[in-house]
Amino acid sequence: MAGSTSLIARKSIRARLGRTIAIVFAVMAGVSFVAGSFVLADSLTRSFDGLIEDLVQDVDLQVRGKNAFEDESFGSDNDPPAIPIEVADQLSDVDGIAVIEPDLAARAQILNSDGEPITVTGGMFGTQYQPDTLSGVELKEGRASVGPDELVVDKATATREGFELGDPVSYSTDTGIYTAELVGTVGTPDSDSFLGTSVVALDLDTALDHFGANGLVDQINVGITDGADIDAVEAKIVAALGSEYEIVDREMLIEEFQEQIGQFISIFGTGLLIFAFVTAFVAAFIINNVFQITIGQRLRELALLRAIGASGKQVRRMISIEALGVGVAGTVFGIIAGLGVAQLIVLGFNAIGAGFPSSAPVLLPRTVIVAAIVGIGVTMLSVIVPSRRAAKIPPVAAMRPELGFAAIRSRRLVVGTVTTTIGLLMLLVGLFVSPGGTFALIILAGGGALLLFLGIASVSATIATPVTRAIGWPIAKLFKTPGKLARDNVARAPRRTSSSASALMIGVALVSAAAVFASSLRESITATLERAVSADYIVQGSAGGGPGNGGFPPIIVETLAELPEISAATPFRIANAQVDDDTKTLTAVDPEAAAQLVDFDNIAGSFDDLTAMSIAIHDEAAESADLKFGDTTTVTFQNGEVRELQVDLVFADNSFGLNWFIDLELLDEVSGDETQSDVFALAALADDVDPEVGDEAVRAAFEQFPQASVQSNAEFLQEQEDQINQLLFLIGFLLLFAIVIAVIGISITLALGVFERTREIGLLRAVGMTRRQTRRAVRWEAVIVSVFGALIGVVVGTFLGVVLSQAVPENVISDLAFSPGIVVLILIGAVFAGLAAALYPSFKASNMNVLEAIATE
Amino acid sequence: MAPPRPTGMLGHMNTDLAPPAPPTTAAAGSIDAMKIYGVGDAEVRALDGVTVSFETGKFTAIMGPSGSGKSTLLHCLAGLDSLTAGATFVGDTYLAALNDRQLTELRRTKIGFVFQAFNLIPTLTADENIRLPMMLGGETGDEAWIDQVIATVGLKDRVHHRPSELSGGQQQRVAVARALASRPDIIFADEPTGNLDSTTGAEILDFMRRAVREFGQTIVMVTHDPNAASYADRVVFVADGKIDGELVDPTSDEIFERMKRLGH
Ligand SMILES: Nc1ncnc2c1ncn2[C@@H]1O[C@H](COP(=O)(O)OP(=O)(O)O)[C@@H](O)[C@H]1O
Ligand SMILES: [Mg+2]
Repeated sequence: MAGSTSLIARKSIRARLGRTIAIVFAVMAGVSFVAGSFVLADSLTRSFDGLIEDLVQDVDLQVRGKNAFEDESFGSDNDPPAIPIEVADQLSDVDGIAVIEPDLAARAQILNSDGEPITVTGGMFGTQYQPDTLSGVELKEGRASVGPDELVVDKATATREGFELGDPVSYSTDTGIYTAELVGTVGTPDSDSFLGTSVVALDLDTALDHFGANGLVDQINVGITDGADIDAVEAKIVAALGSEYEIVDREMLIEEFQEQIGQFISIFGTGLLIFAFVTAFVAAFIINNVFQITIGQRLRELALLRAIGASGKQVRRMISIEALGVGVAGTVFGIIAGLGVAQLIVLGFNAIGAGFPSSAPVLLPRTVIVAAIVGIGVTMLSVIVPSRRAAKIPPVAAMRPELGFAAIRSRRLVVGTVTTTIGLLMLLVGLFVSPGGTFALIILAGGGALLLFLGIASVSATIATPVTRAIGWPIAKLFKTPGKLARDNVARAPRRTSSSASALMIGVALVSAAAVFASSLRESITATLERAVSADYIVQGSAGGGPGNGGFPPIIVETLAELPEISAATPFRIANAQVDDDTKTLTAVDPEAAAQLVDFDNIAGSFDDLTAMSIAIHDEAAESADLKFGDTTTVTFQNGEVRELQVDLVFADNSFGLNWFIDLELLDEVSGDETQSDVFALAALADDVDPEVGDEAVRAAFEQFPQASVQSNAEFLQEQEDQINQLLFLIGFLLLFAIVIAVIGISITLALGVFERTREIGLLRAVGMTRRQTRRAVRWEAVIVSVFGALIGVVVGTFLGVVLSQAVPENVISDLAFSPGIVVLILIGAVFAGLAAALYPSFKASNMNVLEAIATE
Repeated sequence: MAPPRPTGMLGHMNTDLAPPAPPTTAAAGSIDAMKIYGVGDAEVRALDGVTVSFETGKFTAIMGPSGSGKSTLLHCLAGLDSLTAGATFVGDTYLAALNDRQLTELRRTKIGFVFQAFNLIPTLTADENIRLPMMLGGETGDEAWIDQVIATVGLKDRVHHRPSELSGGQQQRVAVARALASRPDIIFADEPTGNLDSTTGAEILDFMRRAVREFGQTIVMVTHDPNAASYADRVVFVADGKIDGELVDPTSDEIFERMKRLGH
């Protein structure tokens, strides 16, 4: 009789409203993060799509350089080579063209009144802007600039920096620092900002001149005359220019943009989703635990149902219907909360200046489906074991509750160990054998971690009693009877203890794993710097960077190299090229300087031997490319230049992650007039220079170059450390959701425990336990449980961190390191988490009416 | 042995209007105790002007039909519940004058409890359960006395067992031992043998009587079993929330007769 089971299920939900709300909350929390991740990614995609369309709305055709090959690898720079401005003149003779707009993007930083670059998160660039522009750049205030004494900036930057029309504003480019009068501000049709970038917009002639474009532009946008046939115009352009240039239409431009942005959004969204699934997984523990406990508490009621004729199956169905109810409710609330979560994340990122376009949240059917699968699925899975247990309750338990669960003896240790082992194996295979593709990695590593956590949660019940007794020992010593009672209460339900502790264990394990990974990374960077680098200074582009790879102009290292205090300086300049038809990232260096500044553990040859006809290769890369010392190979650069290069150096240490080196001279020769960018640079002081004097000279030289900053090794390490810590912080922040849910889980479990022990607490109060002692007992019970969870988490997480660090290539992580500080922090945090979890249950326990408590059955 | 009858003692106690010190011969008692549950039509007068006192060193039984207010009286005497009007005292202390913390302290040090069932904390051993009130106060208690109590209840070889490993009778003996261990001024027992078979029940009752005779302990026990009440030195009858006479050193037959008249 489905009707009666669902009736009883409904009544049961209503009768236990508090617990039901708790489960719904757990489901909701898990679902909201999942839904929020999708909503955010979809909303971003939609608003970026709008932005992209705005930005190319009037561009009918675009003429640009042609790459010799496309680099398919993720995030690679496929900007086509720049083209001469004269191409625009050739276009003016073509019929059917109404507007010709040469366009370029270049490094340009806006400086504040102290001459320092302003801080932005989305990069800084300069471009040209003309009143009848084809792009969607929209004038917000004033007018377009004319001549070198005027400029326009984006309105968001002007507002933030307090620039008014008429103010002098300074900016720095590859050719120097300029000051001009602000005559206008621009934005996109929907926003004052260009995704958080700062923009310096000049008229075309000034832009070409000040940006050091050498007469080259990135592309020429074309607007055709009304009524002209676009294909015909395109054909005429091809006829006029020949096949040297690529001509694309608006649809193609939009598609390209969308693809680029889509890649980043999907990475961002996937990252969030991973944390969302962790949260849902943790929620599952809580749901399972609450059902498990409530079924224990309803033993007599369920047995009575059995006694009056309900079948075991009906009991199971009843529990399942209850779970379905709360699963659906949790999912609905979770989706609604997910919309809020998405907005919250956007707000958070915009607060640190990300400039995400604001948009209405986008809820696609896919999001609802995934949310429902997660929410209802997690709930139904969590309830499988409890409902089976309920179905096995014998009717006789109605009269003799002690017979209730006797028949069910679990083999937790065996099942748990097997699960843990399988999970571990999957994880190891995924990380170390890596059989094919990201997807396999996610399935193996993710699934492996999942099983590992489940297995450990299961095994941990068997160690819960001794371990919590040990944790509780000082508490019992310190807090006497309430401490002892707390300790005993934790130990008396090891399954429940381990289950609520495990929820916390997962979050803590991931934090600890990240901590080990981060300290190993830090250690490895330090070691690399000590082992492979004998430079005193590291130069990097200033925060924000510019278009392309965001480096800095060559003039900086050239200036540095000429300082008498500097003995050697080399830039590291990146270029994509095909080596025997495989796309590789080549790094151009000054060989003579590099020979002094780095030690890459040369196997054959040295940096000194490199000429404009040479290439240097890491030994493993050489092996896989089937090249040996002395061989020659054909190298095709992205602008189509081809060279035969000889392998004049094979080295063994690629801790910079760089496998292919060429001479800077070669790259200069190949690149012609194109603007060059250095990614970073190394420099060393001459031996006979007083370090302090040298330092002053170096820093003085950088005053004129706000585009880049110079750091001593120690400063560089500090910066790396700061970045790693930031990343750790972000991971911790995203895991906070899971940790908070786990703490709430401990709180619910404890509250249920207090409820179960009503009589006992009443008795204790009757024989003389004070309210304060009662609160204390519950409080320390919570602390023991959460410290237990944190302890397993730290152990498991440290292990995972070691495995992860080992799985990462040697050139990224070469050394293992641990951070005891973080472990201590975690354990202290666990104590506070326990105290927080105990707030409600301890209040409940101490405020119990003694008489009613004693009268409770 | 007429209980004191101070006049004008209706309403809640208040320190300014504190009554004269209770008679020193009484270990506990009540004056015009009134306990009303509910309001209007649903009003139930569980206690309707109960004035009674319990002598030190005596075993007193409170008898009466179900619902007559026995448990309510016991709870109010023990500081587990408060009166609507009137006063209760333990020793020379009026309970209404105490706050929750002081009441708890009073229960811990001056009062012992034996309930009908569920007297023990399942996680603690018998020994720990016996010492619980002292432990809660951070005291060790009188070792020699506790040993003697344990020996008397015949639990010497069971003290390190948990309640679940003890029979119902043994559990109740541990409960009585706990009540005795802190040498309270008075022990309140609410149907302590209600859940036991008659032989085991007799053992407990015998033991309680010995505690009174040999150690001078004061015990007040609620029961509706005439046989159990016959172990007491004095039986106070309660009906409809009022005191309805008493018997001194009664036999179970006398009590049975009396109960029949009460319409039990
Ligand atoms: N919490 C309460 N709320 C309302 N009525 C109560 C409550 N406790 C007891 N009563 C009523 O007070 C009367 C006395 O109860 P009680 O003292 O338990 O009787 P006894 O112990 O003699 O059986 C009964 O009528 C009972 O229904
Ligand atoms: Mg009663």
